[in-house]
Amino acid sequence: MKRSATPYLFLLPYLAIFALFWAWPIIESLLLSFQNTRVYPPVWDISINWGRILGDAAFWDALRNTVLILVIQVPLMLALATGLAIGLNSQLLRAKGFFRFAFFAPVVVGAVAYSAVFRLLFNQNGAVNAALGLELNWIFDPVGAMVVIITTLTWRWTGYNAIIILAGLQSIPKDIYEAAEIDGASPWQQFWRITLPSLRPVLLFCLVLSIIGTLQLFTEPWLITNGGPGTATTTLGVYLYRQGFQNINFGYASTIAYAITLLALVFSIIQLRLFGRDQ
Amino acid sequence: MKRLLVLGAALALTLASAQQMQGNPNLRGEITVWSWDIAAKALEANIPGFNKLFPNVKVKVLDIGNQATYDRGLAGCAAGGGDLPDVYSIENNEAEVFWARFPNCFTDMNTLQPAASTLRNQFPAFKWTELTVGNKVFAMPWDSGPVVMFYRRDIYNQAGVNPNTIRTWDDFIAAGKKIAAATNNRVKVGVIANGQDDEWFRMLANQNSCFYFNNEASAVTVNQPGCVTALETVKKLIDAGIVMQGGWNEQIQAFKAGTVATSMFGAWYEGTIRSNAPEQSGKWGVYPMPASRPGGVRAANLGGSALAIPASSRNKEAAWAFVRYALGTTEGQVTMLKEYGLVPSLLAATRDPYVSQPQPYWGNQRIWQVVLGTLGNVPAARGTQFFQEARAIMVKTQADYVAGRFPSAKAALDAAAQQISQATGLPIAR
Repeated sequence: MKRSATPYLFLLPYLAIFALFWAWPIIESLLLSFQNTRVYPPVWDISINWGRILGDAAFWDALRNTVLILVIQVPLMLALATGLAIGLNSQLLRAKGFFRFAFFAPVVVGAVAYSAVFRLLFNQNGAVNAALGLELNWIFDPVGAMVVIITTLTWRWTGYNAIIILAGLQSIPKDIYEAAEIDGASPWQQFWRITLPSLRPVLLFCLVLSIIGTLQLFTEPWLITNGGPGTATTTLGVYLYRQGFQNINFGYASTIAYAITLLALVFSIIQLRLFGRDQ
Repeated sequence: MKRLLVLGAALALTLASAQQMQGNPNLRGEITVWSWDIAAKALEANIPGFNKLFPNVKVKVLDIGNQATYDRGLAGCAAGGGDLPDVYSIENNEAEVFWARFPNCFTDMNTLQPAASTLRNQFPAFKWTELTVGNKVFAMPWDSGPVVMFYRRDIYNQAGVNPNTIRTWDDFIAAGKKIAAATNNRVKVGVIANGQDDEWFRMLANQNSCFYFNNEASAVTVNQPGCVTALETVKKLIDAGIVMQGGWNEQIQAFKAGTVATSMFGAWYEGTIRSNAPEQSGKWGVYPMPASRPGGVRAANLGGSALAIPASSRNKEAAWAFVRYALGTTEGQVTMLKEYGLVPSLLAATRDPYVSQPQPYWGNQRIWQVVLGTLGNVPAARGTQFFQEARAIMVKTQADYVAGRFPSAKAALDAAAQQISQATGLPIAR
């Protein structure tokens, strides 16, 4: 009895911190989602937030925008990152270290700083319009604002994913390619038949990270477009923040947080069903 | 409305003697003040005058930024009143959410000596609406944002537009077309933040005695006639092609580049123009906002702040003395007006000689007389604790209506009212 308690005693400090800073907030926010937090003191009202969310046009707008980024930006970025990784892995490329750093660098830049830069670039009098010879008011146009957000995200995260994919590329045994070459496979065939299948676990990893990142997306739309114009770039993360910290409605914010969690769960199950069966 | 103004002025005169504060060298201690940007600097400018009366109270003003003041205040209140200053700056529109969610976080100023209710008549009534809950007063009115038109004299002249003849929004549109024609369409007559904000809608709705909610905060009124007119006017202005669309930064860039001939804003925008475009000194002027119909109200309010005293303050007496000096005396208010362009809402301050002085930057116009002259005409409007939610819905509704997604302004606002009602649980007023 005493002997079996010892390891738990050693674990106790961790378990206490875990319970306090991890488990308790998760349970607390679940409880909050069943309370009306717009009155003082908050009162139990099982349906006030969960009843609201399904009929809330703003929530559906946020969900639609998030899914839109998910289906456009994530595949675009992963395709670019794969291409970039193959380029960085090429025998022909000199100064590999420099290029690898250069493409990874955007992740190092503070989100606030580069968001400000992108807002300036896409200003009506900004460098992008000057370069393209346009007079588009990007940030004040629903489609334009979304294009800016997707461009920004792609700029920031492509290099990061490319480095992960590069690591995957380097773990593919070289003799497979040598054998393929002897068999007369073209580089294109090698890519489709060897490289891509071998990269599957790495790409799945990048995909899962990107999907979770997109579901939490907050910084760029908040700082560049402020979720606008209207609700054109309001993501679930922005909507959650608005409800929690601008409207001070923690109950409804918790409900949104749980809705996002449920979505993440659904996406994860779909991914594992589609790609991860043999892992 | 006229009567209200006269009454206000009369009250201001009779109370002018009460604007002198009694000092007290026995009051001692140190107080901290949280504020932001020029508001913090303006409060700081008041410390020397305050210390003449209260030499043993040390005031420390911390400029922690507008958003941080709000966020940290909220966090402090949510944590039961910890880590809050002795004097807390709060925007009127955002104020009610604090009183509603954290009613014990701030001091009821009627429990202090002298009670805040004795100062009630020294400010216009509309400034108190958001700061009062029942008999409790949670904050003291500070600056206000009477809306005026800041315009470029040289551009108006060039186009042959006399601002004195702009009395209605139709006149304004006609003037905008003249200016566009005279400048090859290079200069617009205003900047509307369509899709990012609904300031123009709010200013116009306020002018027409309409707002998101009624003044009892018991019903949604955003689809009432005054708001319908306001939204129609916003679309009319955009459709006429005489305004550009942009936010706060774009507007500053535009007036610096000389591509916009008018800015409509709360009068606190005076400092923004003056400090961003010092090279345009003498080129600017001010006139009252146009009315919705001939002879209609030409006043509205946008923005403005207040000072509150957190319940956790250890030196409420000293904090209250500072708040009353900075906001409740002509001396305090005029200091902030002079240095940083903060428009006093203290009625007695409108009688100060400084207010009637010509301002060199503004082509020697007596702009503060124009600005403060509108104060008594501003219809009351209430942000309520749901301000931010209603605003987010209106921003989208306005953008959709302007883009032609609703058959009429009434239909757009009916839909907005429905959404606001659903979000807040308040009924739509009949």
